[in-house]
Amino acid sequence: MIAAIVNLNHPANTVHWHFFSMSVANVVVLVLMFVVFAVAILAPFPGHRGGAR
Amino acid sequence: MSNVNGEPTSVNGKSWTARARERAVGALPPEKLLPDSQPSYMSSWIYVFGVLTLTSLIVIIGSGSILALKGPGWWHFTGIGHFFNSIHLWSVELFFFFMVIHLWGKYWMAAWRGGRARVWMTGAVAFVVAVPCALTGYVSQQNFDAQWISTQAKDGLNAAGVGSFFNVTNFGQMYSYHVYLLPLAVVAIVIAHVLLVRRHGIVPPFQLSDRGEPTAREPEPARQPDSAPVGGRAS
Repeated sequence: MIAAIVNLNHPANTVHWHFFSMSVANVVVLVLMFVVFAVAILAPFPGHRGGAR
Repeated sequence: MSNVNGEPTSVNGKSWTARARERAVGALPPEKLLPDSQPSYMSSWIYVFGVLTLTSLIVIIGSGSILALKGPGWWHFTGIGHFFNSIHLWSVELFFFFMVIHLWGKYWMAAWRGGRARVWMTGAVAFVVAVPCALTGYVSQQNFDAQWISTQAKDGLNAAGVGSFFNVTNFGQMYSYHVYLLPLAVVAIVIAHVLLVRRHGIVPPFQLSDRGEPTAREPEPARQPDSAPVGGRAS
């Protein structure tokens, strides 16, 4: 069995902030989705000329 | 239907198959069903996430079919079974990852503009149906994780008053939901969604001059000065 890159042999860590409670893994995925969404809007598309309408 | 001479006959004009064919071709002619060009505004990464979602769904169906053929003993206790189990899990993760970004993009584009309400609604329903499809998978794993999730879910669903309709601790019922009923619904809705996208075309971005007018006209096939093959050879 190949070991995981990070040690997973413990209960999940969670982020608590007032009413907000979410596992670190879910927070990482959520932040990654925001980043990918922003990149998808801002990054130029290959082969597309910016001024083309 | 034909007479004794082999000539086609019909009691009331056209047969139902001919009417169905003409209606289908009229709604979705071949050049719309399988177009060879798209508007230049499609040359943006935000338009990629719909097809990434579809690709993930294909991997989900493929890996899930293999898991269903081999069974829990295979996916729990063999190396190749673990591999396909992981392929199935991570393709689901990516499916939701891509689908939510697709949904965000379409929401901020107001993708229901220009007569595309049904496109938007089928996409939203596909998301809503895909969620229980995934959750029934978590309770169909045949391990302690599934037992924990199903007993927790049972309390929540009973508290919500829907526990009399289905039983999340019933493996046979949840497995049937997961491998047959809900995937069938998801695939059917996704096919409808894609066909509607083909029929109405992708939603154009807001024009700067359109601020304050949050509507978009249906693009007219006859005049498409900004049409170009995907990849952006727009003039």
